Amino acid sequence: MSLQKVLCMILIVSLFFLTGCWDRTELNDQAIELGMGLDQAKNNKLEVSAQFIIPSMMGMGQSGGSDSGKPFFIESGTGKDTLEAVQMIQTKLSREVFRGHHRVIVIGEQLARRGLAQVLDNYSRDPDIRLRADALVVKGSSAKQVLEASSPLENIPALGAQKEHVQSGGLGDRSLVNFLIAGSSDGITPILPVIKLIPSSNNPDQPNSKEFQFVGGAIFNKDLKLVGFLNNQENSTALWVANRLSKQTITETIPQGNGNASLYMSKIASKIKPIIRGNTIKCDIVLSGDGTIQENNTNLDLTQPKNITLLEHVLEKKTEKQALQIIKKVQTQYGSDIFGLGEAIHQNNPSKWKVLKKNWLKQFPKVQVNVHAHLTIKRIGLTGPSLQVKKNEIKK
Amino acid sequence: MKITRYTKVLKKDIQEIESASILPQNGQDCELEQNIYVNEEVLKQVFENCSDIVFRPILVNGQTKMLLIYIDGLVDTKILDQVILKPMMFEGMPNGLKSVDSIGEIIQDRLIAISQLKTVSKVREVIEGVMKANIVILTYGEKQALVADLKGFEKRGIEEPSAEISVRGPRDGFTETLRVNTSLLRRRIRSPRLKMEPYSIGDLSQTDVVIAYIEGIAPNSVLEEVRQRVKRIQIDGVLESAFIEEFIEDQPFSPFPQIQNTERPDAVCASLLEGKIAILVDNTPFVLIAPMTFWTGLQAAEDYYERSVYTTFIRWIRFVLINVSLFLPSLYVAITTFHPKLIPTNLLISIASAREGIPFPAVIEALMMEFLFEGLREAGVRLPKPIGSAVSIVGALVIGQAAVQAGIISAPLVIVVATTGIASFAFPRYNLGTAYRMLRFPMLLLAGMLGLYGVAISTIAIVIHLTNIRSFGIPYLSPVAPRIPRDLKDVLFRTPRWNMTRRPAMVSGEEKMRIPDGQKPGPKQGGETK
Repeated sequence: MSLQKVLCMILIVSLFFLTGCWDRTELNDQAIELGMGLDQAKNNKLEVSAQFIIPSMMGMGQSGGSDSGKPFFIESGTGKDTLEAVQMIQTKLSREVFRGHHRVIVIGEQLARRGLAQVLDNYSRDPDIRLRADALVVKGSSAKQVLEASSPLENIPALGAQKEHVQSGGLGDRSLVNFLIAGSSDGITPILPVIKLIPSSNNPDQPNSKEFQFVGGAIFNKDLKLVGFLNNQENSTALWVANRLSKQTITETIPQGNGNASLYMSKIASKIKPIIRGNTIKCDIVLSGDGTIQENNTNLDLTQPKNITLLEHVLEKKTEKQALQIIKKVQTQYGSDIFGLGEAIHQNNPSKWKVLKKNWLKQFPKVQVNVHAHLTIKRIGLTGPSLQVKKNEIKK
Repeated sequence: MKITRYTKVLKKDIQEIESASILPQNGQDCELEQNIYVNEEVLKQVFENCSDIVFRPILVNGQTKMLLIYIDGLVDTKILDQVILKPMMFEGMPNGLKSVDSIGEIIQDRLIAISQLKTVSKVREVIEGVMKANIVILTYGEKQALVADLKGFEKRGIEEPSAEISVRGPRDGFTETLRVNTSLLRRRIRSPRLKMEPYSIGDLSQTDVVIAYIEGIAPNSVLEEVRQRVKRIQIDGVLESAFIEEFIEDQPFSPFPQIQNTERPDAVCASLLEGKIAILVDNTPFVLIAPMTFWTGLQAAEDYYERSVYTTFIRWIRFVLINVSLFLPSLYVAITTFHPKLIPTNLLISIASAREGIPFPAVIEALMMEFLFEGLREAGVRLPKPIGSAVSIVGALVIGQAAVQAGIISAPLVIVVATTGIASFAFPRYNLGTAYRMLRFPMLLLAGMLGLYGVAISTIAIVIHLTNIRSFGIPYLSPVAPRIPRDLKDVLFRTPRWNMTRRPAMVSGEEKMRIPDGQKPGPKQGGETK
């Protein structure tokens, strides 16, 4: 064996001792945490509640049965920061807390109003924690209560909360990372989805049981403090403007057709075009969407192209009105740039942005906004006019 | 010197020769004598205690003594009776010839109706002739002997090869008889350019070995290398082609086979046409093909008989499965114990619930199951067929089901091991599959100790090793590394035959063109115009 080969061997063998993943933990020594709740505790402390799964209760598929008990449990701990609280949880557990799989972070309203700046560092620092999680704000109750509530379809409530968010049109597993990005950039302030606890009607055995419902969005300001709520419709419109919506349904009365129609859009986008002239900043926002007419209670025959154009026009008007309304509301009431107008200026005109960004929050309410909607009806479903409309009433 | 002394003694009286001490120790090298009694005595000494060797003296015309020597059971005695004994004993010398003429010549030219006949003049050659199942005819007064080929031993017929079965394609396989095997090749390639160089290897076994190649297509450098390597073999006996393989391969300690073996004449012919070289060994149906690349281990003979699109699909399935067979258990262990973040949440929950209450760490679990699987396989291979099915029942029930139900082994791991097992049998070449099956274990250990890092290290080590192997000067991973884009069409894909216009660049010699271009078929290929 030549000297070179010996050297190579030594180098390769030494690799084993230099580094490695010495963090082997068997799955049955880990407590898998799927959801966690952050609440304000006394003495300026943080209360962390975590939802862990009980693997043995998950059962092997069908054989488990439903009456074997809940497949999860909740432990909470308090501390000055997240990690201290988690350490406190750890003292109550026989297995190592494994946070790499949590899907949902629920934030109590009280804590959100006080500000999240102090508690979020852990999520971007710890490599074990995945960023693809859903951050939610609870309206009116504590995060712990949400974790204790049940979700009728999912056996782990945390997964249910996230799926609800996805079904509402939001980007389910990206709200945490979006929050962190928005929280750290100048041109946009974060917005988080909001859930609310409601009494459950599905569980007659336990009259006190609760389930949660998706109710809209929470507006944060630059200091990551909760400043206000948006309802569901406002929330999705705001997300549409910020280009963070995946699907949207709009319904509007069509005066020309004596009824209303609904358009379901699965391909939507927005474009913000800032125009800066002297001291005035104007923003042209173009909202676009492609979709299917899923309900048509008017007497319009949709096989006629002119009716489609009419419908599109009415729906566009409605969208523009809604969008303008919410933008105005946010500008005047909250002064928080949740739409990312500043980011748009930053991308479009970086040199101007350098000047503007210092007091962007003062500028933001003064921005003149124009909204154009551009909706396309791609499909009209199976029938032209509604079958329930008599033949002579159909408007061709 | 010894010869003179020898003849002096013989001149007196042959009957006086009794003890072996008079015979030279290396008497095999001397020439045959004119005196047939001397020759007989010498040969009887040589063949002492060989009960299967027959000495049959006959008298032709009542005067000329002849002696037939052959091995009982290796010559066709029926033909012997009809072709040699009958004409000589009853008809005798043809009329009009005088004994002055060389009797040997007469016998050779007129008397014995045997296709293959040659004359030898040395004792050693006589012995060789007898040992190679010929009949040696010694004649009085002749310094030469006739060696007649009358081979007629019991041999297995041509059957379908059991190790390489195909749905479509020829069903004949090589047998244990070299001549039959060469004839199978010759029937497929009827060109004088198909050369078959004979060698005899093994001091005692004297096994016939044939190096077959097509002149002009096989590169001379590789051919010369094969010849040299075969020639330098010194061994007592060659019982299987593996004996030759182990002497001529490049990397004796590599787990990967560097010389392909096959039972299928069509596979050998296909390789010969590509410019490879086949080594046929007597007494085994397995023919060696050199040089071998990694990718030929993933090509079955049937690939070329099925439709090319389907074959491409099957090849990709094989590529996936060979990686599964190597990586799956290691990845399972590494990911579940070191990096559970990499698994989708729902899958993780399923695995976690299945692992609940399992007493062993995942590595030990996997090692145990893999070990048992290999044991089952080994037991099944060696056992007689009726008992073989019992092994699979025990394996499936006891190991599979009972272990899971008892909570000793987790169900996902059984799935992993079973999948790996299936994948490891997807290799068209058995010996490449064994390499992969074996490498699984060190990789599993590393994965259990170091996680994905260990898997990465062992993968790199394997890839480095593979790129370092040469088979008779041809890089083992060619044409992928070094990359020869033109040849990839028979590796990553299997393009239609009319598209394979050139032979593999690395393997073939001067004659690179295989078929002319422009033979793509289509509706207008017949020439008719519409």
